[in-house]
Amino acid sequence: MATETLKQFHRLPQSTYIDALRFLPPLSAFDRYVVVGSFNSDTDETSIGIHAFNLTDAPTLTLQSSFTTSSRISSLKVTQKSLQNPLIAASTFAGSLHILFPNPIDASFESEVSIPEKTLHLGPISCLDLQENGSACVSVGEDGRVNLISVGDSGLDYRRVFDSKGLVSYTAARWASPTEFATGGLGNSLQWWDQRRPGGPVSQFKGNWAAGASSGIVHSIDIHPSRKHTCLAGGSYGTVFAWDLRRQQQPIILSGIGTSDTTSNISSSDVWEVQYDTFMTSSSHANISSERVLPVMICSEDGILAVVKQGEEPTEILAENCAINSFDIDRQNPSDVICSLEWESIAILTRA
Amino acid sequence: MPGLLTGSGDSSSLVPFSPEPSTPAVYPLHHGLKPPITPRLSISWSSGNSLRVSVFRSPETASTIGEEGEVGGKVIELKLSGEDVDGEVTDAARWRKIVYGSVSPFAHLQNKKNAMAAFSELRSSAPYNVEWSKYVLEYSKDINSLLGNNKSNPSSLIEDPRTVLKNVEEPSSLKAAWELLEIFYANKQSQSWIPEQLVDWLTDYDSLLSGKMPTVHSRLVEFQAQLINTQTVENEAAYWQAISSALSVGWLDIVVKLLRLHGSYQLNQLGTRETENGLVEAVAVLISKMPRMRADLPDGKLGECCYNKSDFMKAWEKWRAQITKLDCSAYWLQCSHHQTKENLKNLLQIMLGNINILSNATCHWVELYIAHFLYIRPFTSGLESMYVLAQKCIQLKPTSSPHKLMSLIIGILGENTEVILAECSKSFGPWMITHATELLTAGNIQAEILLKEERHNLGGISIEESHRLVYAQVLSSHALTWQIAPIYLISCMKHGVGLLEILLYKQPVYHSQVLLKNIEICRLYELDSVSANAMKIAGVHNWKHGKKGSGIFWLQQAGDEVRLNRIAQNLFDFVGKSISDESFEQWEGLIELMGTESKGGLEFLHKYRDFKKSLQQVQEGVVTDAARKAGESLILIMKNPSTPQRFWLPLLYDSMKLLTWQGAPLLNVSQSNLLLNKLQELSVARLRPDFVEVGLPPHALSSVRAALATNLGRAILEEC
Repeated sequence: MATETLKQFHRLPQSTYIDALRFLPPLSAFDRYVVVGSFNSDTDETSIGIHAFNLTDAPTLTLQSSFTTSSRISSLKVTQKSLQNPLIAASTFAGSLHILFPNPIDASFESEVSIPEKTLHLGPISCLDLQENGSACVSVGEDGRVNLISVGDSGLDYRRVFDSKGLVSYTAARWASPTEFATGGLGNSLQWWDQRRPGGPVSQFKGNWAAGASSGIVHSIDIHPSRKHTCLAGGSYGTVFAWDLRRQQQPIILSGIGTSDTTSNISSSDVWEVQYDTFMTSSSHANISSERVLPVMICSEDGILAVVKQGEEPTEILAENCAINSFDIDRQNPSDVICSLEWESIAILTRA
Repeated sequence: MPGLLTGSGDSSSLVPFSPEPSTPAVYPLHHGLKPPITPRLSISWSSGNSLRVSVFRSPETASTIGEEGEVGGKVIELKLSGEDVDGEVTDAARWRKIVYGSVSPFAHLQNKKNAMAAFSELRSSAPYNVEWSKYVLEYSKDINSLLGNNKSNPSSLIEDPRTVLKNVEEPSSLKAAWELLEIFYANKQSQSWIPEQLVDWLTDYDSLLSGKMPTVHSRLVEFQAQLINTQTVENEAAYWQAISSALSVGWLDIVVKLLRLHGSYQLNQLGTRETENGLVEAVAVLISKMPRMRADLPDGKLGECCYNKSDFMKAWEKWRAQITKLDCSAYWLQCSHHQTKENLKNLLQIMLGNINILSNATCHWVELYIAHFLYIRPFTSGLESMYVLAQKCIQLKPTSSPHKLMSLIIGILGENTEVILAECSKSFGPWMITHATELLTAGNIQAEILLKEERHNLGGISIEESHRLVYAQVLSSHALTWQIAPIYLISCMKHGVGLLEILLYKQPVYHSQVLLKNIEICRLYELDSVSANAMKIAGVHNWKHGKKGSGIFWLQQAGDEVRLNRIAQNLFDFVGKSISDESFEQWEGLIELMGTESKGGLEFLHKYRDFKKSLQQVQEGVVTDAARKAGESLILIMKNPSTPQRFWLPLLYDSMKLLTWQGAPLLNVSQSNLLLNKLQELSVARLRPDFVEVGLPPHALSSVRAALATNLGRAILEEC
């Protein structure tokens, strides 16, 4: 496995467990902010905080404002559109959903709207995703419900899109377009939904449910805005695969056990998050073909942060001693990546 | 506990041990229930340091619960505040940082140890020791760096000449203790420089000893506070005392800095106090030229380094000769400032090793001990002679309640591993002792035997293992550190794996995150049966709580045939029942999830599902094609030998409307005959005692028979 040289790498110990983190689109021209969902095990307090992020030789995260939630954060998303005020959406393990509006001047929380627990889902919300323009949010849970939450001026409104009554447990969700989204669940299964065709998923990838012990769970999905027909998923046993809606029964396996010799296995633990890697050097630009899956960044339970490319050796960026629970790539400066580490710390790195 | 003897307070005990009487802690319960509450509480241990308390309301009021909409009881988790692991590191987050950081050095060293053990079995050669001590030193340095650094805070560029002591972060005694162990056990290469290392050690940590008694450090702190208000320092006794104290423990940079505050350096004084200034400067230069037997000196420290003993000897003799020469110099007569003259001479005496003056200048025995190394016996080597010297210093400067670091020093010098262990355990807790045993056993066969010998009174495990188990227990008691415990448990030969299994079984695997963590740990340590059990528990939990899909998923992952079969049997209960569309959807979904693997006749269920589906389509409209299809699948399923006999009647009863189809008869003559034969077979079977009656109306059989007969009649007419 190749390793990538880093221009900068820092581990910032926190005194709280980091459940989720995201770069916030720039609120102003000079400041950079990171939003962090954290859990203080000493006081049992959970909160969402905005930290000013200062990437110098000794980077710092300075807490600007925080919002206390009743339970730990299960999923955290921000709208990625720049030039408009960002929106933060968070779901909790108790089942509540919060939408926060940060103030662009001092990064405080201007207002918050939420849906209490036991309303959207029975039990935890396993994942949510926010539409790019911040107008709607999809939430899924292990209880088998899929909800659409519309974010309007008057508050939040929600609608149940589907309820499998526990037959299917959903563990991941991602918008593809203003009307379509994908979900993932047990048995490496994926579902494609279209709001114009209600009643159930439009198409399904069954995965390898019946494969017994090697079957896994999809933990994270990403869809690239330029290739909406391809759904990228990462899950148990180091599995990373792309599901092309045009060739539904043949997933492109990028990593995982039981795969052919041409794909190498980056990790054999759970892949917690996948994201298309937007950072490109000029040489990698040349290699992009519309046939291939775009480069993918993954983080895993055994502490690997890596970039996986179809048909190439994966590039390892970090190999930590503890799990990397989540990461985020800065859309504005794609060379910068932040990760949350299991041992109560945040890693910050800049790629050369 | 090893090292603790019974009968505390007894003079024979190695380490004084007094079980401190503690006042009972009171925790209020916030249950939020309306009284009356039963006096009964159910208390059990939850994960980690929490108790699970179930509070019940009185049974008399339980009957009214329904109306009031109030619950009959509540389960509360009560977090007990743990005892401090170390008195100083009270900040739990900081403590966890040390815990996290020490994992990889420890695991790394264990791997190396195992690899070397395997290697030496092959070759049984000796280079082991050199190599090994290198790893141990590396390990020790890694751990040491976790415990904080003594780097001074970035001070302003312009140095204040009146700031004598550098503004450093408060050192921790945990780090001080670790460094002591490192000096004596890990750093084999610089063994000959132990005295100089101790000098450095005291420089860093003398402030820690200030708590109970005065120290040179506290004297300097006091003096520095006075310094701001003092005009002519050389007239103050405190000034000279601070200098001689600092000199006696070897803080040469501070001494020189203080000397240069002497009034004779001031420009307006130069003319009148030239000789005096010359003498002060001469002493300062001599001090800064002191030979030190060490490889190098950190920045800002003074002295001349001598790498080997013969070089040092020569330099030492030369330096002493220079001091003596200055002492006898005629310039002293020309020095008019009495205090300066006396005190400078005093300093020379310190450098010449005058025991009385040294004893006055130092505050406690460790300082005096360091002074001995510096000025009286620079060649002291070997633990035995160092121990004798320490005893002598203690006699000269006895302390009533020795600091824990002092006790540790004595333990180390006395080469008594048990005392060291007991001191570490008493003062610094299980983390320290678990990690320090690696240093104690490095190259020390006696200690290794003591620590690794299996002991009957410890249940057949060694002291080392028992400490690791205790530490793993501490780790297990916290939600964020329990996943580290396996690394320590797995290094325990005897009970490690057993306790690891217990730890894993105790985790609440119905939280999917915990379950996944559990599975991952099992994967790493090849505990397949444990992970299968965890999956089974999670599967049953999910099934019971309505998450049928994930219930089946985890049972399948666990390969739990027994429970999957039971689920399959449950699915059979639907056969022949008239069920709503919604529950049929559920049922259909479950069959889908169960897969096609032949589990208890699932194959039949799949066929039945197809049949049922086509039957539903028939109900929706009057499409004859669909009805014909349904009829065909009925025949197929009845023909199939895997269809259990008990479902024959329900199947036929289900498809009554096919048999009595309004249009043309759906079944031809042979098909009708086949079904009639099956019905006959069933009537015979009914007479057998083991026949299980299905819950159908009593007239079901006769009405099916009648319908079939009618259909047969119509079919015969059709075919004519």
